[in-house]
Amino acid sequence: MYPQAIPAALVLGLLAVIVVAPLVGLLQLGAMPGFESGDLQFWQSAYIRRVLVFSLWQALLSTLCSVLPAILVARAFALQPSFPLRGFLLRLFALPLVVPAVVAVMGVVSVYGSDGWIPLGRSLYGLGGILLAHVFFNLPLAVRLLLPYWQAIPQRHWQLAEQLDMNTWQRWRFLEWPVLREGLPGVMLLVFMLCLTSFAVVLTLGGGPRSTTLEVAIYQSLRFDFDPVRAVVLALLQLGLCLLVAGLTLKLQRLPEVEISLDRAASPNAGIFKPLQLALILLTAVYVGMPLLSMLLDALTGPLSKVFTGTLFWRSAAKTLLIGLSAALLSVSAGWFILRYSASLAGQPGRARLIDLAGSLVYVVPPLVIGTGMFVLLSPHVDVFSWVYPIVIAVNALMGMPFVIRTLGPALRQNHARYHLLCLSLALTGWSRFRYLEWPLLRRPIGLAMALVAALAMGDLGVIALFGTPETATLTLLIYQQLGAYLIPQATVTALFLLLLCLSVFWLLERGVGGRIDD
Amino acid sequence: MIEIKDLEFNYTGLESPGMHFDLEVAGGEVLSLIGPSGSGKSTLLSLIAGFLMPAAGEILLDGAAIETLPAARRPVSIVFQQHNLFPHLDLYTNVALGIDPALRLTPSQVASIGDALERLGLSDLRRRKPGSLSGGQRQRVALARALVRRRKILLLDEAFAALGPAQRAEMISLVKNLVQENGMAALLVSHQPRDALIASERTAFLCKGRITALQPTAELLEQSALPEVREYLGSM
Repeated sequence: MYPQAIPAALVLGLLAVIVVAPLVGLLQLGAMPGFESGDLQFWQSAYIRRVLVFSLWQALLSTLCSVLPAILVARAFALQPSFPLRGFLLRLFALPLVVPAVVAVMGVVSVYGSDGWIPLGRSLYGLGGILLAHVFFNLPLAVRLLLPYWQAIPQRHWQLAEQLDMNTWQRWRFLEWPVLREGLPGVMLLVFMLCLTSFAVVLTLGGGPRSTTLEVAIYQSLRFDFDPVRAVVLALLQLGLCLLVAGLTLKLQRLPEVEISLDRAASPNAGIFKPLQLALILLTAVYVGMPLLSMLLDALTGPLSKVFTGTLFWRSAAKTLLIGLSAALLSVSAGWFILRYSASLAGQPGRARLIDLAGSLVYVVPPLVIGTGMFVLLSPHVDVFSWVYPIVIAVNALMGMPFVIRTLGPALRQNHARYHLLCLSLALTGWSRFRYLEWPLLRRPIGLAMALVAALAMGDLGVIALFGTPETATLTLLIYQQLGAYLIPQATVTALFLLLLCLSVFWLLERGVGGRIDD
Repeated sequence: MIEIKDLEFNYTGLESPGMHFDLEVAGGEVLSLIGPSGSGKSTLLSLIAGFLMPAAGEILLDGAAIETLPAARRPVSIVFQQHNLFPHLDLYTNVALGIDPALRLTPSQVASIGDALERLGLSDLRRRKPGSLSGGQRQRVALARALVRRRKILLLDEAFAALGPAQRAEMISLVKNLVQENGMAALLVSHQPRDALIASERTAFLCKGRITALQPTAELLEQSALPEVREYLGSM
């Protein structure tokens, strides 16, 4: 028996309870007498067909609009390894990872709303607005995911292509496309999944029943129509779709073992296409930067004092911080135990991968589905609205697990492979091992993982929308409530504050926990 | 014949003195380049191949200057230690790319590929992907491509470093034969003095960006009085 197995088993068991128990609750309700009779019709209703078709359609369009341009932009970054703003722009493209969805929505409204720089009128609310926001998030993400494929092409291959006098098309055909096609389906499915489970964007920019996705329909069923049965049907449908997409993604995704390089020359220059590629990069940067800049300007001229003197505002900010930090601590601690155990199974890669996958279980179960399950499971026994913080913290910690496993896993495994035998020979175990070996060497990925989870949890508008009340609102829910009351200037100020809070917490955790780069 | 005259190069950002090379290699000759890491061996090959541009000096092939030509226009084939082949293409296509990257081949070019594969003992493997070949077979494919390209200069940048001693000796003999048959001028970079003994009548010793000795190989390896050569060989 491995000594790390017990804590890992406990954590995995707890995870299983948090994920599986709500699902069991949903399925039990689905099997209850009376459920089938009325709801066979519901399954076949025009409403559910419309919601399903729109969910898939907006996810497909968002994926195509994000990933296809991202191929060109990532290629431009790869073939222009040395222009002055490259590092800065790649960092800017990481920003949407930290920006809460509701803040991005405020940015989109600020640029494309009726008083914005590019007013789109009513067409902003509906598919158009959803696409604009999804592309804002996923185009930079796809660029960052695709760029390593170019960087994985050996320098020798570029030199060989140069010597063999390959033109642009031949380089694409023989060097670039074969590498890219390995990862493109996985990246597309990942973006599709993110858009399929997107909640805050569709909730705020969706234009009523015509532009409703499964996630939003679940929320509306529980919070507005008080129809848990319909919520269960929708949740099961969403779960089925997510399982399908996640299964395909896991099967097809092959990420290269290459970090994004911010400044290394990776390939020869692009010759005559250089101005075009630079223009493309700048255009994308403008697209990503414009909503944030516009929102910043709007907020600075907005009702700052009115917002900042509100008691509710500061209460919400404190709760946001509490949820973010607690979820980060919980997620990284749980991830740590799982990863320590999977690293100790170095001789059994299949089993280790299975354990890592179990930790990422939540990837296939949308938070709103878990939330709905908890609602169904707990509401007969307790007042779920008074349990809002433990539930929101637990679900957000769970949501952060795939990030923890992805960020901390490789470093922890490498550390284990290098030093485990040395630790055994020195009898370095437990706290001593953590203090003298693991913490100094792994604090950077630990800090990054905590920063990511905290930012995600602070920006969450999923579970909190389901369980939150005006009294228990976080900043994201407050923004949503302000939007609902047409207090757009106030919502913009709150959104800017939330963004700054998320960035500050991210920075503090990454640097504070992770230490300085030269440490 | 390839002549390198007063060829100068300096890596930007480095404070070390620039590199300077003077060298001649006859057609049909394999000249070995040995020396410690960072002495400029691979840099010299990159300058000849056109991956790096010299600050000054000339590279002449049969009297014609080639140092200003882009890499694709130089009469050069190069074989690296690894990454010589595109892993998703079969062996035949990897070789065919050496003739025309658009893969529009004439019947005689197709026949020349067949001949090269036959010559290197690869005929039965033409549809295999590089991943299923041994290290030695992969380097043979790279040599086959160099052969069908019919370029006058062959550069081998630690091309056989990953092979075992027996396989390395076999590959070097093969290269020697190909170079002599085709009248090519070849430069072989190796960290193994034994490779130079098998491959070359003459060997150049490089140190700190300079050719500090150019002698018959046996003489250089066994009798050189130069302290840097003794130190290098002693550390092997």
